[in-house]
Amino acid sequence: MTFPAAFRHAFLLAALSAVPTCAVAHDPIFGLGPHVLYKGGVEIALDTAVERAGPERDSELALELTYGLTGDWAIGLDLPYRNRRDVPGSSDGFGDPALFTKYRFWRHDTLGAQSSAAIAFKVIPDTADSDQSPPLGKGATDALLGLTYGYESRRWYRWASLRYRRNGTGPNGLERGDRLLLDFVVGIRPRPSGYLEPDTVWLLELNGEHAQAAKRNGQRIADTGGREWFLSPGLFWTLRNFAIKAGVQIPVHSNLDGDQPETDYRARLILEWHL
Amino acid sequence: MRSLVILAALLLTLGQPALAGTLEYRMRVDGLACPYCAYGIEKKLKAIDGVESVEVDLDRGVVRVITREDLRFTEPQLEKLFQDAGFTYRSMEVQTLP
Repeated sequence: MTFPAAFRHAFLLAALSAVPTCAVAHDPIFGLGPHVLYKGGVEIALDTAVERAGPERDSELALELTYGLTGDWAIGLDLPYRNRRDVPGSSDGFGDPALFTKYRFWRHDTLGAQSSAAIAFKVIPDTADSDQSPPLGKGATDALLGLTYGYESRRWYRWASLRYRRNGTGPNGLERGDRLLLDFVVGIRPRPSGYLEPDTVWLLELNGEHAQAAKRNGQRIADTGGREWFLSPGLFWTLRNFAIKAGVQIPVHSNLDGDQPETDYRARLILEWHL
Repeated sequence: MRSLVILAALLLTLGQPALAGTLEYRMRVDGLACPYCAYGIEKKLKAIDGVESVEVDLDRGVVRVITREDLRFTEPQLEKLFQDAGFTYRSMEVQTLP
């Protein structure tokens, strides 16, 4: 059974929207970190992401709102607007919104350093237009569960995270394969800055993704699933309550099943305010 | 009469610092690694009536707060404030500024 191009879009869509999972403050650009927001705090972020794989291009501009319920628990909403391009044409419109939450269940503070761990959960309902070609929707509600550990100090940062994305069953019994995402990240602040001074942290991420093959009515679909690894340099620049985050995912290893376009690159730019 | 007016004005001027006295709190806080994350501390402290300024020394893990003389922080209050901001409060020192 071959894999129709229209369904392949759904997989690319899933890959792109799998990236952000309640990214708050000093979290990795593509991976997941344990940062949450202070109690009563509001975070407003404009998040742009681009992915290119062969002739396919998917870009997204999302408004992300996060609220700090407690000092360790944040909830949020992600409202994306998408543009998809492929050989036959392009489509524009609102993507699937997402609701997310993150709970930091462990924190250890020392002088100038903090270690912490958190769990995150994200639900992505299916509300986007699936009638356009390529479709903006994915035809099912998906859920993502993540676990993350992070250490940050005045100079060094390190994170590790594991995420599992459970993709719902779409029309005609289509089961897009679930995805497992693994991230290792290091960061360095070359010049420890004072409060109210511009602050720069450089990041280097190793992001691994494993996608199960898709099935329709229990039958495995060819040319789906596989593994990709990315090396992702990134930057985190802040001034008081404003942050700019940017990064590029460069594929370093690809083992996709069958004939699938490999990811050429992914890029992300985020403007973020804490209010 | 003119001498009396000058004397009264002088006394009022000299008496001004005593009327607008301030306190300096130096709070030891752990977990302060980045300036962006410390913004929550500034926001929470400045929301308290009587707080005049907040400075964060990340390298020493010290938050310096200047307040009106009648503002008194308690240990449980600061523990909760810093917990809500995502950090760990350790101790404080307070002194009256001249």
